[in-house]
Amino acid sequence: MSRLNEAEIRRIAELAVKQLEGQATAANVEKVVHEAVQRMSGEGAATAARHERMKNVPPHNQAKGQRIILTAFGANSIGILAGLTSELAALKCDIVDLSQKIMQDFFTIMILVDAGNSDVAYEQIRERMARVGESFNLKVIVQHEDIFKTMHRV
Amino acid sequence: MRIELPEILETIRMTEVEHFDIRTVTMGINLKDCISDSLPRLKNNIYEKLMRTAAEHVATAEKVEAQYGISIANKRISVTPVALVGDGYYAEDFVEIAEVLDKAADNLGVDYLGGFSALVQKGFSKGDLSLIRAIPEALTSTRHVCASVNVATTKAGINMDAVYLMGKIIKQTAEKSADNDGIGCAKLVVFANAPEDNPFIAGAFHGVSEPDVVVNVGISGPGVILRAVKEARNADFPTLADHIRRMAFKITRAGEFVGRKVAELQNIPYGIVDISLAPTPMPGDSIADILKAMGLQDVGAPGTTAALALLNDAVKRGGLMASSHVGGMSGAFIPVSEDQGMISAARAGHITLEKMEAMTSVCSVGIDMVAVPGDTSAESIAGLIADECAIGVSNSKTTAVRVIPVPGKTVGEEADYGGLLGIAPIMPLSKIDNSHFIHRGGRIPAPVKGINN
Repeated sequence: MSRLNEAEIRRIAELAVKQLEGQATAANVEKVVHEAVQRMSGEGAATAARHERMKNVPPHNQAKGQRIILTAFGANSIGILAGLTSELAALKCDIVDLSQKIMQDFFTIMILVDAGNSDVAYEQIRERMARVGESFNLKVIVQHEDIFKTMHRV
Repeated sequence: MRIELPEILETIRMTEVEHFDIRTVTMGINLKDCISDSLPRLKNNIYEKLMRTAAEHVATAEKVEAQYGISIANKRISVTPVALVGDGYYAEDFVEIAEVLDKAADNLGVDYLGGFSALVQKGFSKGDLSLIRAIPEALTSTRHVCASVNVATTKAGINMDAVYLMGKIIKQTAEKSADNDGIGCAKLVVFANAPEDNPFIAGAFHGVSEPDVVVNVGISGPGVILRAVKEARNADFPTLADHIRRMAFKITRAGEFVGRKVAELQNIPYGIVDISLAPTPMPGDSIADILKAMGLQDVGAPGTTAALALLNDAVKRGGLMASSHVGGMSGAFIPVSEDQGMISAARAGHITLEKMEAMTSVCSVGIDMVAVPGDTSAESIAGLIADECAIGVSNSKTTAVRVIPVPGKTVGEEADYGGLLGIAPIMPLSKIDNSHFIHRGGRIPAPVKGINN
């Protein structure tokens, strides 16, 4: 019962009024409402099952529109990758793809991140990753994936 | 659809090294519903509507900047030509209206507000004349407001009374802001065939056929086009054009995407992307440098107009493929003071007003941010405007003049306006007398070309 929202309660009331049509005694109302709630819990169960199924869907499909590309570059030092990835893990960001190169001591990394399960706002992810970057003297750029798709795909 | 590392690095190089940004996200706002027969009520209606409609504009644009990592240099507003909204009022009333617009722009945090404008290609209404007469004072007493006057179209011909009047108004505006080298004129543009959805300043206004509110976008990317040209090395012209076209596609897509997001988040319609390449005085962000990279020693060399035509067309090809709604000016800008390469060409005497006039025939804006000697007559300025209008009207295209007769300065000196407006070396303008021609009055008839039905 506690999971019913306002719209559902309204629906129950409408159902009750429709079925009773002027014979609304206290007992009748209770009976009708009880039946309606039973029916809707059935629907609720279906929704829960759908959520259960969605759990098995690969996260990048589920969190459509929540993919972020993190790029970082600067002088190479020990622990950069660990620093970046542990912060991403703390932010509940899933790493989907990662590409890293070191060219003449110059560290470059691109991480494709699924932030669909993160409960932290985008701005905060950006800020916290920039802070990790600062501690390693790296320039960290966090951008939504869509801008790259837009510019590089017809 | 996997995005490859080199593609990501290219985007980052564009934004971090080559100054690629969105020059402006301009919100167009209709003010026709603010009209009132009481000046205080009219002013209040305008202020309230602007504050209500654009309340989230700057914050939204900043949010989109952060999310996608593409900077938006300016957030602007354009409004219905104010001469329409305030028709029937006197010049001093229009100054008050300009001050209200400025106050709203200031409180909203936008960089510029365009639309202190009149469309007089065929003649003046009382409001048009009052607004034009208010321009010198309005541009001196406000910071963000920009004015424009359309004096010619291919359909109507050239209103020479308006052309002469604007020559005088430009002189007065320069004199009013003499302490700052006539900076008021940097916010004033005279048009032929003005587009109604132009997001760029100083000529932006919200056309009468536009929806109540709309978001238009202007891109900027001479730096990335310069790289494309350099990468083409010694290639022949088709290959060179192809390099430019591909790069123009990318920057237009980014511009359109950013514009759509800003519009979507505020739940208002998205209008157009203007694919003009807008330079800045920053090194490496210059149209002139692109023309030089094509193989000219400096702009002004024979071949400059052809090089500009190639650039402009290649940018359009890429841009049209990238966006479903291209509009505004959509052609390269060649402002002198706002382009490092143009500044140095003007200093060296390599580029002249006459050559710039020729270049106008193949790009969007004509004589733009050009400083001329302070003792230039209103008739000479009017002649310059008339020539630009003739090019626009005869070729069914937009042309414009934004010229600054710098008070007390002459050829060899410079006017420094700072920021995006840059440094303007004073350029010589022919002193051969044209006054008998300018004083004739009336309208130069529309060209046969305009009668095309």
